[in-house]
Amino acid sequence: MSYSKENVESIVNNGISRRSFLKGLAASGVLSSFPGGILQANEDLNTKIPYLGEKSYQTFRNACPRNCYDTCSIKTYVKDGVMQFIEGATESTYTHGGCCVKGNSYVKRVYSARRLKFPMMQVGGKGSGNWKRISWDQAMDIIAKKLLEMKKEDGTLLGAALTKYSGNFGITHYGIEGMFNSIGYTTRLAGTPCWPAGIDAQNLDMGDMWCNDPEEMKDSKFIILWGVNPASNSIHSMKYIYEAKKKGAKVVVIDPVFTEAASKASQYIQIKAGTDGLLALGMAKIIIEAGLHDQKWLDANSKGYKEYKAYLDKEVKLDNVSKITGIPLAMIKELALSFAKAKPATIWMGYGMQRHTNGGSMIRAIDAFVAVSGNIGKYAGGARYGHLNTWGFNYAALSQTKPEGSVGYTGPEGAKGDVAQGKDAKSNYTDRFLNINKTARELINAKEPKVRLLWVACKNVFAQDFDRNQLIRAFQQLDLVVVADQFFNETAKWADIVLPVATQFEEYDVNVSYWHYWLTLNEQAIKPLFEVKSDLEIAAMLSKRMNQLQTGSCTFPQSVDTKAMMAKEFNPGIYEQFGIKSWEELKNGPVKAKAVIPYADGKFKTPSGKFEFYSDKALELFGSALPTYLEVRKPYDKFRMTSPHSRWSLHSQFQNLEWMEDVHPEPYVYINPDDAEAKMVKEGDTVAVFNKQGLLRVKAKLTDNVQAGTVLMYEQWYNNNIYNVNELVDDTSSDMGAFKTGAPGVALHDTFVNFRKL
Amino acid sequence: MKTIQPHTSSRLDEVKHLRDIFNAQNSKELKVAFDALNASIEISEEDLEVQFNRYFIGPMEPIADPFASIYIDDPDVVMSKSTLHVRELYETMGFTYPLKNIIPDDHLGVELDAYYQLLYLEEAKEITYLSDLRHYFLHEHLSLWVPRFIARALEHSEHDSKAMTFILLQLKSLLIRETTTQGVTA
Ligand code: SF4
Repeated sequence: MSYSKENVESIVNNGISRRSFLKGLAASGVLSSFPGGILQANEDLNTKIPYLGEKSYQTFRNACPRNCYDTCSIKTYVKDGVMQFIEGATESTYTHGGCCVKGNSYVKRVYSARRLKFPMMQVGGKGSGNWKRISWDQAMDIIAKKLLEMKKEDGTLLGAALTKYSGNFGITHYGIEGMFNSIGYTTRLAGTPCWPAGIDAQNLDMGDMWCNDPEEMKDSKFIILWGVNPASNSIHSMKYIYEAKKKGAKVVVIDPVFTEAASKASQYIQIKAGTDGLLALGMAKIIIEAGLHDQKWLDANSKGYKEYKAYLDKEVKLDNVSKITGIPLAMIKELALSFAKAKPATIWMGYGMQRHTNGGSMIRAIDAFVAVSGNIGKYAGGARYGHLNTWGFNYAALSQTKPEGSVGYTGPEGAKGDVAQGKDAKSNYTDRFLNINKTARELINAKEPKVRLLWVACKNVFAQDFDRNQLIRAFQQLDLVVVADQFFNETAKWADIVLPVATQFEEYDVNVSYWHYWLTLNEQAIKPLFEVKSDLEIAAMLSKRMNQLQTGSCTFPQSVDTKAMMAKEFNPGIYEQFGIKSWEELKNGPVKAKAVIPYADGKFKTPSGKFEFYSDKALELFGSALPTYLEVRKPYDKFRMTSPHSRWSLHSQFQNLEWMEDVHPEPYVYINPDDAEAKMVKEGDTVAVFNKQGLLRVKAKLTDNVQAGTVLMYEQWYNNNIYNVNELVDDTSSDMGAFKTGAPGVALHDTFVNFRKL
Repeated sequence: MKTIQPHTSSRLDEVKHLRDIFNAQNSKELKVAFDALNASIEISEEDLEVQFNRYFIGPMEPIADPFASIYIDDPDVVMSKSTLHVRELYETMGFTYPLKNIIPDDHLGVELDAYYQLLYLEEAKEITYLSDLRHYFLHEHLSLWVPRFIARALEHSEHDSKAMTFILLQLKSLLIRETTTQGVTA
C-alpha cells in the first residue's frame, strides 16, 4: 500500500496542507485530464484561502404539517445544504421551543433511506412488486394520455377520482384539489374520516366550529378532558393544563380508557363508550335543578332552552344515567355541581367520541351542558372541539377554473371536505362526490362513468380506510392508480405509478392549526432529494403535458414556484388578523392571531343568531331538533374494540422510521385481565382478534386501563407488518357529518370483536 | 500518449461498467452497462431492471441500499457523517458534484465514478498526483462498506437472480483485486 493515511487525512482536514495540496493540483494540470463522469473537474478550485468548510448554519422556518393539533413551528438548521437538526421555534409560546418525538425525528425522516426517490411504474400488475423507473416526463405522459382518453370516451372526466386526507395540511397543498379542478369536473372522495360528526354538531349548536385559544386554559378553574388524551396527542397543550392545575383548577378526564392524560389528572372517570351524551344531559339536569345554570346568559343568547329543559325533565332519569354510563350517581352530581360552580370552566372534546353511531348527538349534548353552565363566550371557558378560524387564506392553489366546455355531474349537490372548494356559480355541473369513509364500496359502485383513474395524495388509503379486501378489489378494477407520497406504503403497493413527493423542508408553504392560533411560514430549507417534487410542481408538469397533447385541457399553471404560490395565499384579512404587513415578516418567526373570545359578543352564526338548543336544521337533517340521548350501536360481537391514536405516529406516518420501531416495534391488543382470564390468555400470548370483517393475529397485553368488555388496539400501521386494525372495522356511519363536510363520519369505535388464544 | 495495455484497459473498463450499472437511469442504460460487463447472461431489459430495483433501488425496501452511510453510520439514513466525509474527499480530489445535496455523495455509482476517474489518471494518463487519495478512498472508505453491501445483497436475496449475483460478484472481485494491487501499473 503506497500511501500514508495520516498524510491524506491531514490534506483533507488541515486547512494549510489542504491549500498547498490543492494549489499543486491546480498547477499540475491534472484537472483537465479527468475523463469526466457524474463528478466533474472543479474549474474553480478554491486554493486561495485555507479551506475551513461551510461551518456556519443557515436557519429556516418550517412547520409540522401532519394533521396534529399542535402544528409546531420549527426552526431548521442547515449546513452546506444538509439539514443538521431542528428545534421547536421559541417565538411561538405554544410550540415553546420543543417538538415531540415525531417532530424531532424529522432529519431522519427527510434523509430516510426508505423515501420514494424516483417516479416508478409497476410493470407486473398491481401488487406484483415488479417496478421500473420512469422519468417524470414519461409519468406525466402516461397520466395525461389516460385522462384525455377518458375524457374522449366518457365525454367527462368524472372517471378520474382524487382521494386526499390529511398527510399534509399546508395551505398550498389544496393545490392538489386545484389540479383536479383545473382538468374539469372530476370525482372526489369527499367528507372526512376524522371529525365530521362533531363539526356538524357544533355548527348546529353555534353556527360554527370555533374554540377558544388553548393557551387560555392556564386560567381555567375547571377543565374536563372529555375523550381526549393530550398527554399523547397534543403534548404542547399539557403545559397550560398543568399550570391551571397548579393554580388550583380541577382537571377531570372522562374516557372509556385510562389514558396518559388520565394519569395526570385530578380525577379520572371511566365511562362506558358511547354513553357520554347521556352523561352530559344528566349533568345539565343536575345543575339546572340545583339552580346553578346561567339563566341570564341563556335568556339573552339561546334558542330552545325551554324545550331542552322539558326534554331533560321528562326523558332523562338520573338513575338511568348512572346505570347506563357506569358512573355512580354521587360522582356525577359532584362533577356537575363543581363544574358549574367554577368559573371559568371548560370542556375539551376529543375526536374519538364522535366516531360512534351517536357521535354527533353526544357532542351536541356536551355543547349544551357547557352552554347551560354559562361558559360559552367566556375567556378560558368554552366547549372546545377545534376551529378553522385562522384559515381564511385565498386558496389560490385550490381555486382553478375548469377548462372551457367541461362537462360534469348533474346529480344532487355533494360534499365539500374540511375547507370549502372553489365554486363555479355559472355552471350547472358539479364534481361527483363519493363518501371517503366508504371508499372501497364507492369506487366499486360508481357508474356512468365508472371510476378508471384514482390519484392518491397525502393519504395512505390502505392504512386509513376500511375494508381492506374490498379495497384491493376496488384498486384492481381501476385502469390507473397514481400514488404520490414520500414513502412506499401499503397503498403504493397497489399502485400503477408512484410519484415521489417533497417533504415540507423541500418546498414553501404556510401553516396554521385547527387548535391553536399561530401562523407559521414554511420555507424551503434544502434542495429536493433525488427526483422528488412538490405536489404543486407535479400539478404543473401534468398541466404542461396535457396542454401539449391538447391545448386548453388543463388550466393549472404550467410551471410553478412554490414560494410564489405560497405568497398568493395571503390576503389583507390574514394580515389584519395576525397583525403583520407582509408574509415576509414570518421569516422572523411565527405570529399569533389577535385574541378573540369565540361568541363573547353573543353572536352565533346559526339561523337564529343564538346558541340553538333547538335546531330546525338538526330536525330537518337528523330527525331531532334537540341534543337528545341516542343509543349507541348494538354490539354484534362479544367485545367492543376501540382504536385510538398512539403517541408515536400519526396514523401510518412516522411509524416507518427504523428508530421508531425501537420505541414501538409491534402492535398489541390490550385486554382487561378479567376478560383475558376468562379466555385463558396470558400476557404476551398471541391471540386472534376477529369479527365478521376479518381476523388479526396480535400479541396480548393485559391492563386495567381498558374496561372489561372492551379491547384496545392502536390504529396505526406497523412497518413490515400486515397488521392494520381497520381490517376489523366496517364502514358504518356515525350520525352526523353530511351537513358540513358532505358525508357522515365513521363509527370506528362501534366495532365489536371476539378473541381467542392461538 | 501511452498505449493502453489490455490488462489496464479491462481493469478500467470494469470499474466503468460497474459504475454505469449503478448510475443507470433506466432499463436501457442498465442493459447496455450490464452487457458491456458480461454478454453471457441472457436477460431482458425489463427483467434486468425489475431485479435491479428490487435489490438496490426500490420503491419497496430494497435488499441492499447502495449508500455508504447505511453501512457506516445508520442503517436507515442517508446524508450523514460518512456522506459528508466523502464530500470532503471529492472536493480535495478536485471534483465538483453537480448532484450535490440531491443524490447523496456516497452513492455507490458516484463513488465508483470517483474511483474510476482517479484510476484513469493513473492508468491512462500516468498522473500520480492523486494516487494517495485514491488509495485512501479505496482502503479507508470503499473497503469499509462495499463488502458489507455485497454480503447483505447476496445473503438476503430471496429472489435468486443470476444477473444480480453476477454484478455483485464482479464488484467483489474488483474490490479484492484493487485492494491487493500495488500502486500504479507501469
Ligand atoms: S407531530 Fe405534532 S407535536 Fe409532533 S412536531 Fe408535529 S405538530 Fe408538533
